[in-house]
Amino acid sequence: MSLFVIAILALIFVFLGSAVIGLLRGGKAGSDRMFKALRMRIILSVLLFAFLLLAGLLGWIEPNGFNLLPTQ
Amino acid sequence: MSNEKYYVPHGTYWPIIGSIGISTLFIGFANQMHDVSWGWPVMVLGFAITAFMMFGWLGTVVAESVGGMYNSQVDKSFRWGMSWFIFSEVMFFAAFFGALLYARVLSVPWLGGADNNVFTPELWEGFKATWPLLSTPGEVGQNGVAFSTNFKLVETWGLPAINTALLLTSGVTLTYAHHALRAGQRNALMAWMIATIALGVVFLGFQITEYGHAYHDGLKLTSGIYGSTFYLLTGFHGFHVTIGVIMLTVILYRIQKGHFNLENHFAFEGVAWYWHFVDVVWLGLFIFVYWI
Repeated sequence: MSLFVIAILALIFVFLGSAVIGLLRGGKAGSDRMFKALRMRIILSVLLFAFLLLAGLLGWIEPNGFNLLPTQ
Repeated sequence: MSNEKYYVPHGTYWPIIGSIGISTLFIGFANQMHDVSWGWPVMVLGFAITAFMMFGWLGTVVAESVGGMYNSQVDKSFRWGMSWFIFSEVMFFAAFFGALLYARVLSVPWLGGADNNVFTPELWEGFKATWPLLSTPGEVGQNGVAFSTNFKLVETWGLPAINTALLLTSGVTLTYAHHALRAGQRNALMAWMIATIALGVVFLGFQITEYGHAYHDGLKLTSGIYGSTFYLLTGFHGFHVTIGVIMLTVILYRIQKGHFNLENHFAFEGVAWYWHFVDVVWLGLFIFVYWI
């Protein structure tokens, strides 16, 4: 499950990278590429967050337990 | 785009003002860290000079751009400049994420005697390789001083999840703003931009609240490698969100002034990418600090 989450996060970075290439090229084609890549990255990000919500509620994945604070 | 020859900038006094501002800022900051009485006012003065420089210099660039003084060479320079800035930002956060993973996966287990057992537990009696590590070996673990062992669980679906939802929503509103700009829908563009900025401000408010809770509960910058990496990552991220909100506000002002059109809106694209990146960094933080 962790690998799946990391893979989606990596894919999001791929789309961010694609958007940078569009930004660098400029013009109509570059602008189109950038917009489509950023749109894909937000769609994937929202889906990933929704998946984490669902997986957490259904018990498919549990928080790592590192979110701790000292009590002393 | 009347002149396609290579652009040579005119003489300007802004770089020397910037040098004076940044030098004053850091002289003040360094002395403030050493509790020198004049450190704080000098730091504020340096910040004010730097802000003045940025307002003046970037304002000049905007005026030149709107005045039609830039050609395709300059456009290319801006795009390359933004790309290298993006590269430096990715490397910046990669270093801090790397530090978090290195400490968690390698160095702390080594201190507990893992792998080749070079760093034996006998170095610090009583040390257990646990994560989060909230005490620094060497400072505690000696002379009978115990390592931190008492923790309470932070609500995973509390503020961190709300903040993630807020930033992701701001990414959605910004995407709608981007679409509106490309479709020439000015009113929709401004409305989505205002929504994006508002979500960023609310995120920062919640982040300050979370810091207050964490600090009150004893999680400080000095709370071992976990406290250091937690505050460095989330702190620098919060700083980037602050910069992003300022940049989005400047873009909103420029939209209101009619600086962009369907073909030419590089400044919007640069800031939009930056905001999407800051959004993804937070998603990474949420996943690696709380889930994986």
